[in-house]
Amino acid sequence: MTLQVTGLSKQIDGRPIIQDINFGWAPGEIIGLVGRNGVGKTTLFRTLMNHYVAEAGHVSVDGDDIRQVPQRQQQLFFIDTQYNFLGTYRLWELPRFFGTVYPQFDTQRFTALIDQFKLNANSQYRRLSKGMRALVNLILALTSNATYIILDEPFDGLDVIVRENIATMVIDEVADQKKGFLISSHDLNELDGLSDRVLLLKDSQLVRDYNLEEIRAKAKKIQLVLNDKVIPEVLKQNSQLIRVSGRVLVVVITDYTTAIDQELKALKPVLFEELPLTLEDLFRANLAHDTGYQMMK
Amino acid sequence: MFRNKMDQLIWQRHRRMLFAIAILTLLGVVMVSLVALNNIVDDRETHNLVSATLINQWRPYNGGYFAAYSMWLILAAWLSGLEMMHLDLSDNFNQFLFSSGFSRRHIYWSKIKVAFAVLLLLNVVATGIEYLIYWVGTPHGYTWTIAWPGVLTSWLVGIIMSIGMFAISWFAAEIIGQSGPLVVTIAGFTVSLSGLAGIGGTILHGSPFSLSNDQVMWVGLIAWLVFALALFFWGAALYQHLSLEHNGEYLLFPHLRVPVYIVFVIYVTLLFSWASDGLSMVVAFVLSALFGYGWLWRPRLGEKWHQWRERN
Repeated sequence: MTLQVTGLSKQIDGRPIIQDINFGWAPGEIIGLVGRNGVGKTTLFRTLMNHYVAEAGHVSVDGDDIRQVPQRQQQLFFIDTQYNFLGTYRLWELPRFFGTVYPQFDTQRFTALIDQFKLNANSQYRRLSKGMRALVNLILALTSNATYIILDEPFDGLDVIVRENIATMVIDEVADQKKGFLISSHDLNELDGLSDRVLLLKDSQLVRDYNLEEIRAKAKKIQLVLNDKVIPEVLKQNSQLIRVSGRVLVVVITDYTTAIDQELKALKPVLFEELPLTLEDLFRANLAHDTGYQMMK
Repeated sequence: MFRNKMDQLIWQRHRRMLFAIAILTLLGVVMVSLVALNNIVDDRETHNLVSATLINQWRPYNGGYFAAYSMWLILAAWLSGLEMMHLDLSDNFNQFLFSSGFSRRHIYWSKIKVAFAVLLLLNVVATGIEYLIYWVGTPHGYTWTIAWPGVLTSWLVGIIMSIGMFAISWFAAEIIGQSGPLVVTIAGFTVSLSGLAGIGGTILHGSPFSLSNDQVMWVGLIAWLVFALALFFWGAALYQHLSLEHNGEYLLFPHLRVPVYIVFVIYVTLLFSWASDGLSMVVAFVLSALFGYGWLWRPRLGEKWHQWRERN
């Protein structure tokens, strides 16, 4: 089972917002979609979901183009956080709509999760706080039992507790490899520890597709203090300087080889310590000259 | 009530508004009937609330005290067309529909089916209530006698009129994305129809057609039904290409701007200058051309004006 996006393009008022987007997505994957505000992440989702009619390209699920076989779209779930119809409805009314569209919708679980998070089922969606709405959106996504779930900036403006709840639920959900998530964010820290693959959208195109496991296997983040004040050649050539604090250097080496390890140890540093590598470190190291990433900061 | 999943979804979504329209219609029918019965003037000549001569003819019956097909039902059709199409756009239900796994063709015809089922039921109930009020409420000494020819013809004509009104508001709501301008546009067009009917009647009465009043009415009705069906099928074709990024703009299909402009200018010029002199036609043309341009291109003009002001 895979979802394949092929050559997807969308223009708005004659301006290309997304161009020739290609990627595959399998259940069990949590894909992060990163890019600056306004780069086209939400437009990509809306075009994927047929809210916008694409100028070119198509989306297929298990080889079936969803325009030709619309039922395949029931395997995709996305709630547009900006434009949705939920506002005037009470929470207990929502399963009627989603249950009609998603054949596997689990109403019992929906009610149980609403209770678990102490949400009032009789509340109107529009009366909920931003965090509560995000939770309801996620509860609907999970209980839809759709295979491919798209979450657009799910952590935006949420407190730590809600964020952790959402992240935990997402991770639990992919454990059995039956669901996949595509999560957009303009903040890399939000996706850290969650995504196993990251797509970078820049200038209306998908410019990178990172497999984080592969990158993490090769990269290292090191904190070191050298005897000499001069930065040695091995670091200049192979690393990205993340932070300098007095004589303490924090560097990321994206392709950490035995040779580099030996060269560094030969310098007999006063301090040599490996630090946990974050997603942000990886992007800093990989996209040091990428203005798109720099401007995200 | 509905077996098909999409029909159920549409019903679930629209039932509140359709109930509201039904209640409004029923109140209107009851009110008009009671007012008519209350306003009977004793003219000492005839005590029949329905003209026996006219109700026995194959013509729609709409007398002083009794209308065989209530105008409120035509209003209900007009409102339903507007509601069924525009509410899903303004409340962003289209986003849900378009990603529901049902084809757009299915969604489009399902909406029409649900609306027509409700309107048909409303027609039966409202007409039943109206006739019941007359049957029970006819004052002592008066008679209310109806006959099939007048009743059947009235229902047929009324239902065709209702379908046309539904089609107009339905189609307009499909291509116009702003609530206020949409209501103004449909109301303006609906009101102007009486003028158009007058022009059509004049043409068909005169040579070379020389049709009678009845013939003109039936030709007009057939043309009206064909026009309604054309709008439904054109709407179905457009619905396939409805892309929601234009939500909130006057025209949801930007490529229709020029055709709409041309039709508007010709229609308004014709309406205001028919059977007038050449000068009236020129004035009507220039005014409609300017108004149409401002109306359809106004957002761009407004933006350019602001940009020009900011630059200077």
